[in-house]
Amino acid sequence: MKHLKISVIFLAMTSLLLGAVQAAQSPQEILAASDVVRNPDYPFGLTNTLIEYRAGKQTDTSTLSIYSKADPNSGQFRSLIRYVAPARDANKLILFSGKDLWFYDPSSKASIRMSPQQRLLGQASNGDVVTVNLAKDYQAVSAVEEDTQDGDRQTKHCNKLSMNASTPDATYHHIDMWIEAGNNHPVKAKFYTESGKLLKTAYYRRYEKQLGIDRPTETVIIDGLDPSWVTVMRYSNLVKREVPDQWLQRDYLPRFKPE
Amino acid sequence: MMMRYIPFSFKPGACALMVMLALNCQAQQDPDLDALKAADLMPATVEQPSNWRLFVEAGAGANRARLGGASQQFQRLSLDLQYDNSFASGWRAVLSDRLDVNWPPQAAGLPHDINTIKEAYLSWQVQADQLLDLGRINARNGVALGYNPTDYFRTSALRSVVSVDPASLKENRQGSVMLRGQKLWNGGSLTALYSPKLADQRNYSGFNPDVAATNAENRWLLALSQQVMDGITPQVLLYKAENQPVQIGLNLTALLNDSTVVFAEWSGGRSQSSFVQAMRQAGVNYPDDGAFRNHSASGLTYTTSNKISVTAEFEYNGGGLDQEKWNSLGLTSLPAYGVYRHYLQNVQETPAKRSIFVYASWQDALINHLDLAAMSRYDLADASRMSWLEARYHLKRTEFALQWQRNSGKSLSNYGAAPQMHSWQLLARYYF
Repeated sequence: MKHLKISVIFLAMTSLLLGAVQAAQSPQEILAASDVVRNPDYPFGLTNTLIEYRAGKQTDTSTLSIYSKADPNSGQFRSLIRYVAPARDANKLILFSGKDLWFYDPSSKASIRMSPQQRLLGQASNGDVVTVNLAKDYQAVSAVEEDTQDGDRQTKHCNKLSMNASTPDATYHHIDMWIEAGNNHPVKAKFYTESGKLLKTAYYRRYEKQLGIDRPTETVIIDGLDPSWVTVMRYSNLVKREVPDQWLQRDYLPRFKPE
Repeated sequence: MMMRYIPFSFKPGACALMVMLALNCQAQQDPDLDALKAADLMPATVEQPSNWRLFVEAGAGANRARLGGASQQFQRLSLDLQYDNSFASGWRAVLSDRLDVNWPPQAAGLPHDINTIKEAYLSWQVQADQLLDLGRINARNGVALGYNPTDYFRTSALRSVVSVDPASLKENRQGSVMLRGQKLWNGGSLTALYSPKLADQRNYSGFNPDVAATNAENRWLLALSQQVMDGITPQVLLYKAENQPVQIGLNLTALLNDSTVVFAEWSGGRSQSSFVQAMRQAGVNYPDDGAFRNHSASGLTYTTSNKISVTAEFEYNGGGLDQEKWNSLGLTSLPAYGVYRHYLQNVQETPAKRSIFVYASWQDALINHLDLAAMSRYDLADASRMSWLEARYHLKRTEFALQWQRNSGKSLSNYGAAPQMHSWQLLARYYF
């Protein structure tokens, strides 16, 4: 009986301690932990299939091969994107290295510098497509516990983070993001302009075990003004792979040919 | 609490009704549910990369001649192939070829069929940061859009002009045979290439590789890029052609703000004026006028939030004639004027010194999948202008385009001398 009491007390203390550790996680730490769920913390490659729907009908599709690697200085990802489809865009490349954006067309051999405003992928902004560590560009200012429906229509108990852009590289002015309590899975995010207008809502869904942990394999982006305008990004072929620093510059674009 | 007063037999129905009402209410309140349902329909197939790209393009249109105003119809059929394969570890084979069949031929004396071997080379990645290429390569340099003074290998590279769109002129040209090496490091690279003299006599027959067009003299180029600060990576070039002093080049771009890119491209060195080079090439003995000459293109590209991009570029060709000399050349010597224009066509330079280039494009204009483009070239020396418009609608494998071009100006001006006053053509392209 004495042993049982001690065990109960020990378990209760352990639970309290774990709870305290959990509670001690700051909003920014929760955000950083959710980044690790979305993005491996080592160089990787994946295939991103984008399909755009308007009023329930498919209107556009692109397939991209993405190679990403974190910049040791900024902590933000640098990415090299190659169009796989449609045929008219096949093998065109986009280099994202902070605000250094280059578009390369293998037909004309022209490397053209782009501004962040130049979007090449329909509704999805460049920041949606490339790998982004949100904790590097945004400061989470509050975390409130809240239940919400996830992209698979399941209720999830989440920490709702409110975060503001903290660097000039940030694509959005502020973001509300729901991150599942306990496992830091990003569930949903709402992206806003400076005036508070909702630009888009994103659902991170279809979690599958990839490279060791459960990661979302789909992001559903819903337009803020027209909710019938939907872009689905599905990730496949996620592999750990070396992305040499030398690749991530304009002069390498004409030479890039993954085996 | 209300349930207490409802007969037992009505409870399940009432519950179901309430659940339905609640769900309906939720659906009305949350349009995300409909969006997620649409997303559920996404097919599971994933496209695989291909080493091949092949398209066929058919075009038909009409020109209106400047002299007499007669209208002439034309048709074209083109086949464009690209093959790029890593056939063994570190090895890559590239082939790019285009066949244009024109009715009537593009110019008097040219065949109906013009085949252009754009590229055919082998690439060997010695190490991750060292590459060697050998074969016919379309080596392009330059960050400007309308005029690229550092694009040294453009001379005589055009065999078949199917559009005046700068992208088309850069794409549909033959490369030069060369050996090219590149060393890369984090934030920079050094490229060295040597393009030897391989032939003297041009061959204009349709299927001849016409090696003399791009390999009529020994040439070399060095290009060094180095990141100097975040977002700034200048490129410095040294170029030497046989019997010509070394030319120095510079390419620079910067981000002004989230919607504006500024660019500057410059090339300078001692050279004869274009006019003297034209005359000497035609066998006319002209006095030396060698001097340090500058060539440059600088401007900016601004993009709006609704996918409209506008590029404005100021172009300076220091080898061109002064305004006065250019405007009087045709009046004083028509043969010299003809020789000069023919030479300029080959080297892709303007006859006078200063021009303005504006290019605007609108992606998904008005309706989804419709891209609009407009271009204007304005010669500041003779106030002549070339205008071009394109509407292009694309489906998954098919594209349709309508192009319109107008050349205006005085009769012997840069654009006013073009045989066609205006033209239009309708194109259909299919990707296999």
